[in-house]
Parts: sequence; structure tokens; C-alpha cells
Amino acid sequence: MEYTIANVAPIFLAPFFAFALNCLLIKKAPKLVDKVSVLGILVAFVFAIRIAVDFTGVANTDYYIHKVFTWFDLGETFKIDMGIYIDNMGAIMLLMVTGVASLIHIFSTWYMKGDVRYERFFLYMSLFTSAMLGLVLSDNLLSVFIFWEIMGFCSYSLIGFYFEKEKAGYASIKAFMTTRVGDVFFLLGILAIWHTVGSVDFVSIYNAVQAGAFGTTVSFLGMEVGLAAFAGVCIFLGTIGKSAQFPLQVWLPDAMMGPTPCSALIHAATMVAAGVYLSLRMYPMMVAGDLLNLIAMIGGITAFGAATIAMIQTDLKAVLAYSTISQLGYMVLGIGVGSYNAAFMHLITHAVFKACLFLSAGSVIHTVHTQEMPEMGGLRHKMKWTWIAMWCCTLAIAGVPIFSGFVSKDRILGDALYTALHAGLGYKYAVPALLGFLGAFLTPFYMCRMMFLTFHGKPRDQHIYDHAHSEHLKLNQNVPLLILSVFTLGMFFSGSLTGLGKIPAPVVPTEWFKTLVDSPTNNLERFSTYTKQQFGSVDTRENRVLEKTVYDSEAMTGYAGPNPDNKDGLHHAHVEGAIASVVIVACSIFLAFLMYIRGTIDPGKFVKMFSGWVTALKNKYYFDEIYIDVIIQKGLLKFNNFLAYVDMGLYDRYAIDGWEKVSRTLYRASRWFDDNVVDNTVDAFGVLAKTGHAVLRGLQSGLIQIYFIVLIIALAIMTVWINFIV
Amino acid sequence: MSQLLNAILWLPVIGIIAVLFTPKGKDQLVRYISLATTGITFVLTLFLYAGFDQSVGKMQDQFTILAPWIEQFNINYHLAIDGISLPMILLTGLLFFICVLSSWTITKSVKAYFSLMLMLQSSVFGVFMAMDFFLFYVYWEVMLLPMFFLIGIWGGENREYAAIKFFLYTFFGSIVMLVGIIALYYATGKGSESFNILAMHGGQFADMTVNIFGTEWAFNKIFFWAMFLGFAIKVPVFPFHTWLPHAHVQAPTAVSVILAGVLLKMGTYGFLRIAFPIFPEAAVEYSTIIAVLGVVSVLYGAFCAMAQKDVKKLVAYSSVSHMGFVMLGLAAMTTQGVNGAVLQMFNHGTSTAMMFLMIGVLYERSHHRWIVRPDGSKGYGGLATHMPKYTTIFIIGMFASLGLPGLSGFISEALIFLGIYKKFTSITVVAVLGLLVGAAYLLWMYKRMFFGEVSDEVKGYSDMNKREVFYMLPLCAAVIVFGIFPAPILNIMKASVGNLLTILNQG
Repeated sequence: MEYTIANVAPIFLAPFFAFALNCLLIKKAPKLVDKVSVLGILVAFVFAIRIAVDFTGVANTDYYIHKVFTWFDLGETFKIDMGIYIDNMGAIMLLMVTGVASLIHIFSTWYMKGDVRYERFFLYMSLFTSAMLGLVLSDNLLSVFIFWEIMGFCSYSLIGFYFEKEKAGYASIKAFMTTRVGDVFFLLGILAIWHTVGSVDFVSIYNAVQAGAFGTTVSFLGMEVGLAAFAGVCIFLGTIGKSAQFPLQVWLPDAMMGPTPCSALIHAATMVAAGVYLSLRMYPMMVAGDLLNLIAMIGGITAFGAATIAMIQTDLKAVLAYSTISQLGYMVLGIGVGSYNAAFMHLITHAVFKACLFLSAGSVIHTVHTQEMPEMGGLRHKMKWTWIAMWCCTLAIAGVPIFSGFVSKDRILGDALYTALHAGLGYKYAVPALLGFLGAFLTPFYMCRMMFLTFHGKPRDQHIYDHAHSEHLKLNQNVPLLILSVFTLGMFFSGSLTGLGKIPAPVVPTEWFKTLVDSPTNNLERFSTYTKQQFGSVDTRENRVLEKTVYDSEAMTGYAGPNPDNKDGLHHAHVEGAIASVVIVACSIFLAFLMYIRGTIDPGKFVKMFSGWVTALKNKYYFDEIYIDVIIQKGLLKFNNFLAYVDMGLYDRYAIDGWEKVSRTLYRASRWFDDNVVDNTVDAFGVLAKTGHAVLRGLQSGLIQIYFIVLIIALAIMTVWINFIV
Repeated sequence: MSQLLNAILWLPVIGIIAVLFTPKGKDQLVRYISLATTGITFVLTLFLYAGFDQSVGKMQDQFTILAPWIEQFNINYHLAIDGISLPMILLTGLLFFICVLSSWTITKSVKAYFSLMLMLQSSVFGVFMAMDFFLFYVYWEVMLLPMFFLIGIWGGENREYAAIKFFLYTFFGSIVMLVGIIALYYATGKGSESFNILAMHGGQFADMTVNIFGTEWAFNKIFFWAMFLGFAIKVPVFPFHTWLPHAHVQAPTAVSVILAGVLLKMGTYGFLRIAFPIFPEAAVEYSTIIAVLGVVSVLYGAFCAMAQKDVKKLVAYSSVSHMGFVMLGLAAMTTQGVNGAVLQMFNHGTSTAMMFLMIGVLYERSHHRWIVRPDGSKGYGGLATHMPKYTTIFIIGMFASLGLPGLSGFISEALIFLGIYKKFTSITVVAVLGLLVGAAYLLWMYKRMFFGEVSDEVKGYSDMNKREVFYMLPLCAAVIVFGIFPAPILNIMKASVGNLLTILNQG
């Protein structure tokens, strides 16, 4: 791979220049704005294809320019270089981001048409895309953080895009602040890493992890914490914020206030996935800090919890929002169970089908002008293409064989099952695995429920149905959806028609994804060495197993490796997992079918049966209440008001302005002294007192001349004092 | 070239004379004279930048001006600059030019207003250039006078109180500092007493003691605190900050801009130029206290800002918070920390100036500053819909002040954190929360003022006019350009900061 910077930089620069150019065009030539944006992302897409093609077929390679330019330096000792790092994971990521973003841009030209701020929308989209691509290209955590925050800004602006609505304001601020909680810790993690490694580029970090540089502890707030754990948790908190994981998941559902294409791009396919991407990049740190179990727990809880909430939503986009949270939970779960490859694969497959789902939802919403599913129904007759595309994606996210979601999610679940049952890690991995499978049962149910309610049955609101336009194949409406829905087929990712690896697909080399990403030995060898160093000395059964299985990339791939026993175990787990999940999915879809098509089972019965739980679900498990009403309203704001009162009402008023009282008292004392003592005794002293009197009265009146006299007198006194006394 | 500092320092004074000799009633002429003066001064500061040698950490010889002033006491007229003062001088030049433009609508005794502004500018330049302690003090005090009148005459409804409070508070600090100055003067050596700040650098007072009320005290510790008090009030560091909200709320827009943009930096500049290099041992010894005060300022300012209903007061408290970051960087005493602190001084100057100017623009239309009125109703609402230009510029300023990467505030804050992490890990952990609260109060303010339906009152406002946009543009540019390419500013300062750190590390 002979690259120069000119082959790579346009991926970031094309959308960025589109943004910059649009800043100028938005006033002068607003008609060109959308074209410039679309062109920018298409250029990036072309360059990304080239890179992806080059990387395909070559496993374990990277393209790495440590220094494209020095951003700034502070002398010899400290400088910040900006570089580019692309490995197989990055190459696939670039392809996904540019591809999905291109289609979403094209779709937006239809969806946003006629919006008062049509141009501004594309401005933000271009800035966002360039930031996301910059993040993927980054070779160091600092520039990741920079692009990460810029994406946060775009997300904030797009959620608050309809700023006439009060609710949009709340949603945007909620999104920005919640993710910023994670970001602040991410920054802290960067600081910790910087001071350990001396820089924050990934290669140096991997090397340092290998060399055991993170084996020390860091002490803060009176605690001694393992450095790797500290840095790892901080970085992972960044992921929790950005990828809307428990307990910071609250912002993503509200983020749906933004225009639907932005939900598709930012809040489904790319930005939220960037959190997961960060944790994947920093995987060695997570291992070194022994955080995988924690990560698996967070992922499992999110995957299951969000899926339960999705079941009762009536808003089309809300269902998708919760399903996004849930699917991100699966990715995090995948990281937690050592399923590095599958987590990343799920990131890619999810980006494709979820972007398509959101665009389809946008297509529906734009046609019927409502987001409420109870007002829809029967739309398949009117929106044939959208209906097909959305069903493909639904089957994909549900995890039906042949579709992509099955390939990726099943691997995660298989690995989760493996860690729970066969790896001998005790029960601490049983809970995440269980939650994962429960979530896998709920996912097809709520997705099919959504499909049935939207497209099937009879129209529930005839008026809306009659006013909906019948769909024709339109280049910027349903064609992007259909293109995306093609890529919901599992064979593009697994290389086999079924997704199980048995029947090779004619066009895609078998298991290409696995070969490319599953054995990033360049990086993983390093951290497995580190793991051995760290855990090798303590020869407990648990550590030995850890070392051999979860952390050993060779073993995880299931290929011939040093641990043939584990290969069997893994294989077992995957077969069990696959069978279990196919059964689960079938049951789940059937249940949804019975409830919402046949009507044999009345969902209302379940609502009654679990009324307590349903109330909790309707209130999203009370997170908003706890965060906003209790912590912010009752806690933070009250505290702030109290502090502001103390500051101005007490401290300033008494402690500072109180000096005026002191001076008044002195003045009175001197007058009393003047009147009663001095005047009655020696007249000569009276003159002196009157002078002091005048000075003090001057202080009261605020005459500036007096101050300068005081100043000069003070100067004189002090000169004398220091000269003769000191 | 050799007289450039003189030119910058005295040009505003010439402007004052020109303004004073303008015939009565020709207010517009006064404005143009002031504009021309500040404009030329700003251009001259750019010449200073062009002639500046970035590789030299010490004072730039080519600009140094040294002439005897009061020979009996060995007081000199000594002007010089280095990489720490140059960014401040550039900032001063820029902000005064902008402030004259933003004061175009002032109609109350125009002559007096602009001559006081020019006087203020000259004295601020003096503070950043003077290398003779006596001269420094003269400028430090002279600066109070125009400030006092500018707040006291052109201010809001409670202006006298704010002006006197500002004056007395700062004056109190100055007097304590003066004690230190005089003590230092006599400590420089019997027979060769001098006020030369540069000669005092380097910790030569480490072993001296001073007898106060019969007790022996370590000279450098006592007078470090004397200096500290003088400068800390100016910054202002918690708990000396309460004059700031009053002064800001009452001051007219341009004065708020100068106050937050430049005058506060004189405090931190004092640490960098005087307190730290003259008493390096004490500075190193007490760095923990400085850092703690810094982090308390950061959080205290941010929390108080969140509770404010008056938007100007909110920004005033945010200044306390942001200057706390500067104090943190100073306390770090590392390359990243101090460079970050100086950069933060510059960046806060531009971003907070933007905020105050924007509030001023709004105030001229609404004549109130309530985010939420005392009765609980919204003060504004729907500004984003009604004033798109205003909103765009406001967002740039707000996000710069919030520390969004890509805009200027981020780099300086990140550098400060990098600098301080190793030395004060716990403090860093607490201080990063300041970033969180900082985002919260700004976004919440924004939400309450800009989102929602356009209220009837807001419907009457006009969007920014050409003049207003024109004077905001340089600041927007500064905030964006130095956010993406901080190197031009960092390159100026890094050698001088290195020089300062050498002094500190010796101590």
C-alpha cells in the first residue's frame, strides 16, 4: 500500500472544505449548498473505497503516519503532532461512514426540502461528517477528543435544529451535557495516559501497555487506584456518554427532536458508534485495567434495559432510539466478553441497518406527517419500497439468519455464552450473557411490533392514510434505502450465505471480515504479552484462564492456535448460541405476529399483568426524574442558588461591605475622642484630630483626590517606617 | 523601531489631548479621533509583533527603553517587553479599538468618556511594559482613576456603589502591594537601591528576614503574600472576587469588555512578572495554596454563574471561573501549565470580550439583561429565530468560552490540565468538573434566551447592524484561528515562559 498523504487527507478534507465553502455560500448562493455538501462526501467516499479495497485481502496491516504536521510545540520538551493511523478496522470504518453518510446526504435533499433552514442543515452535516472522518483517521487520543467534541457540537446544533420548540432546547442541552459528563472523564483519561506514556498516539500507548507502564497506581482524592484501571475507566466513561450506555443513556431518546436524517447519521450510524470505536481502539487499556467484566455488565444492562423500554413506545423514532441504545449495548457487551471482532462487526452492520431504519422512518414520517404509530397502519400499500427496505433492516436487527444482524450479534452472544459457561470465569459473566439473550428475545418483538403497527393491518387513522402520497421510486428518497437494505444481507460481512460459515457466498471471500479484524495481532500481541506479565505472576485459576482465553486473540478467532481445547469450547458455545438465538428470534417474531397481526393475544393483558413494570417503562425507569428533578433541580440548582446567596447576600454584604461599618465606627470613635477628650484637654491636639476626621469623612464621600492623598501619605509613612525601623 | 513602545504608550495620550481640544458639540469628531488613535495604536502593536524575536526568552533588547526619571531615588523610565507581555499588549490594542467602535452609541459627555478610555488604554499599556517597579505602580494606580469614573458616571443604576467598591477593593490590594514594593526597594542593597523588576528576579531575597513588630519573618514569604494579595484581588481569585460582579453589571459595555478582557489579566500578569520570579521559593512552596484557590475559583465561579438571572452577572462569574484556570496553570509551574495559563489569559480576553460585547448589543435593544425576570418570566426568548446574525456570533463566542475544541478556549484549558495533572492529580480531577459546570451554565443561559417562541418584546429588536458585525469579526476570527492554529501565540510566549520556569526551578 503505497500511500501518500494526498490519498488519505481528502477523506477528511473534502467534507471539511464543503463545510467551509458552504459557510460562504450560505448567504451568497444558497442553492449550491446542498450540492457542495453531497459532492464533498461523495469525494470522500471514493477515496475511502480505494483504501478499503487496498486493505481488503491484506490482514494485519496498517498505514501510519506518525506526524503529518506538528500542531504546536512548547520548546524541545513538548509538542503535539497530528498523525494518521489506518488499520483494517479504520479502513472499514471509513468505508462505512462515507458510504452511509453519502446516502444520508442524498436522502436529506429529499427529506429536508422546503425546510426554512435547509442550507444550514447541510452546513452542520458536512462539519459533522468531516469530524467523524477525522476521528477515524486520528492517530492519537487528543485529536480523537477534538473531533469527538466537534461532533458533540454538531449533534447539539442539530438536535436543537428546530429551536422555535422549547422541547428542542431541552433535548439539545440534555444531549450535550450528558455526553459531556463522559467527555470530561475522557479528558482525564487522556491526561493520565499522557503523563504515563509521554504522548497519546495509539501506537505509543500500545507499546507502553505492553511494556507494563500502566502497572503503577495513581493516587487521587486519597485513593490509590491502578493506573490502567483509572485511565481505562475514564476512557470508557467517554464511551458510556457518547454511546448512550447505562447510566448515561438518557439523552439519546430526546435527541430524536432533530431532523430524521441527522438521527440516522449522528444518533444511529456514526457518532454514537464512535464511542464504541474508542473503546475498541483502547481495548488493550481495558484489558490492562481488568475492566472487561465491568464493560460486559454495562453493555448487558443497556442492551436489555433499552430493549424493554422500546417495547412500549408508540413514537416511531423513539422505538428506533431505544433500539439503538440496546444495539450499542450489544457492542459494548461484545467488547466486555472479549469479542473484539464481533463487536466491531456489529458496529458496522448496525450502522447500515439502523441508518436505513431511520431513513425509512423519515420517509414514513415525511409522508404521513406524524410519528405516532397508533395513527398509522396499512402503509405498505402506499409505501412499497420503504416497506421492503424497512423489513430487511428489521430482520437484520432481529437477528434472523441470512441477514447481517445475525452474523454479528450471534457472535457476540456466542462469545458471551462462552465466557459465561465454558471459560471458567465463574458467574460474573453469566449475568451479561443472560441479559444479552433476554435482549435478543425482545429485539425482534419490538421491531416487528413497530413494523406491524406501521405498515400492516388496517389504517387506524383514515384521514392520515388518505392524505399520504403513494410512493414512487425516487432517487433521493427510497433508492438510498434500497441500497442500504441490500447491505443488510449477512453475506457481505460473513462471506457465507447463511451467516454461519457453511455455504460460501459467490462474491465475497469467506470470512473476510474475520481475517481482517479478528486478528489484529499488531496490537493484540502486545497486550496479551502485557496481560501475561500482569497476571502471570499470580497463578490463580481465574488468571490463567483469562490469559489463555478471553485475552488471547489467537484462541478467540477459533483458528488453529495454541489453545485447541478452547477452540472446541468456543465452537460449542457458538453452536449453542446460534441455535438458542434462532429459536428465540423465531418465538419472538411469532409472538409479535400473534399480538399485532392476528390479535390472538391481547397486548393489553400483558400490560395489566405487569402494570408496575409497564409504569416504570413508561417513565423510562425514572432516570429523567432522578437526574433532572432530583439531582439537578433539587440538588444542583438549589445549591447554586444557595451559593450565590452566600456570595452576594452574606459574604459580600457583611464580610466585605462590613468594612464600611468598621470605618464608620472608627470615624465615630475619633469624633467622640475629638469632642470629649481632645477638645476638652489640649487644643493643639484638636487640630490633628480634625485632620483625621476630614480624612475619614473623605473616605465616606468617596472623593478620589482624598484617596490619592492617603496614598501619598501612606507611601511617606512606609518609607520612613522601612528606612528607620526595618 | 526603538521608540515603538513609547509610541504605543503615548499615542493614546496624544489622542486625549486631541479629544480635549475638539470644539464643543463635535461628538462625532471625538469618536473618529478616538477610533483613529486606537486604530493606529493597534497597528503599532502589530508592528511590535512583527519585530518580535521569538527565540529570545528574556526582554527584547531592540524595544527596551531605559532613561533616568527620578535620579535621587534611582527611579527609571524603563519599558521593555517579552513574550509574556506581548500577547497582552496585542490584546489590549485590539480590544480598545473594538471598544471605541462599540461605544459609538454613548451620548453622555462624549469627550470625557473617550478621553478616559484613552487614558485607561495608556495606563494598561504602561502596566504591561513597565519594568521599573515604581513606574509599574504608577500605571497600576493611574488605571484606577479612569475606571472609577467610567463606571461611576456611565454605569448602570447602582454605579456609584460599584465604582467605589471597585476602587476601594483594588486600592486596598495596591497598598498592600506598595508595602512590598518599598520593602523590595530597600532590600535590593544599601546604597544601590533600585526599582528594577528584572534585577529583582531570581530569588535573591531567599535568605533575608524582616523584622515586623519585633518578630523575625522570612522576607520572601511575607512579601510574596503582600504581592499575592494585590494581584489576587485583581484577578480576582476567590475569596477576593465580590467586587467583580458589581463592577461588571454596572459598567457600560466597553468598560466591562476592558475589565474582563484586559484588567483581570493584569493580576495574573503580576504573578508572572513579579510575584513568581522575584520570590520563586515562596511561589513554589505555596503553589498548593494557589492551586486550591484556583480550583475553588473555577467551581465557585461556575456554580454562582449558574444561579444568576442577570446575563452580565453570569458572564462576570464565568470570568472568575475562567481566571481560576489561569491560576491553576500558574500553580502548576510546568511548561504546559504556564504556557496554557498565558494562552488562557489571551483566549479568555477574546472570548469574554465577545460575550460582553454581545450582551451590550442586546442591551442596547432591550435595556435589560434578565435571562429570567425576578417575577419568573422569561427576559428574552426566541432570539435565535429573530436575530440569526446575532445568534451565529453569540454561538461562536459562547462555545469558545465553553472550551469547545476547534475554538480557542480548549487548547489553553487542555494545556493547563496537562500541566497540572502530575503535580496535583486530585485537584485536576475536581477542576475538570469545572468544564462540565461551565458548559451547563452557558448552554442553559443560551437555551433560556434563544430557544422557544419569539416573544413580543423580542420582535421589536433589530438584528446586528454593520458596525456591530464589523467589530465582532476580528474577535470571531481570533477565536477561530487561534483555536485551530494556536502556534502564533504560543510561539511568542514559549521562550519567555521557559525563562520564567528556569527562574522558578532554580528557586
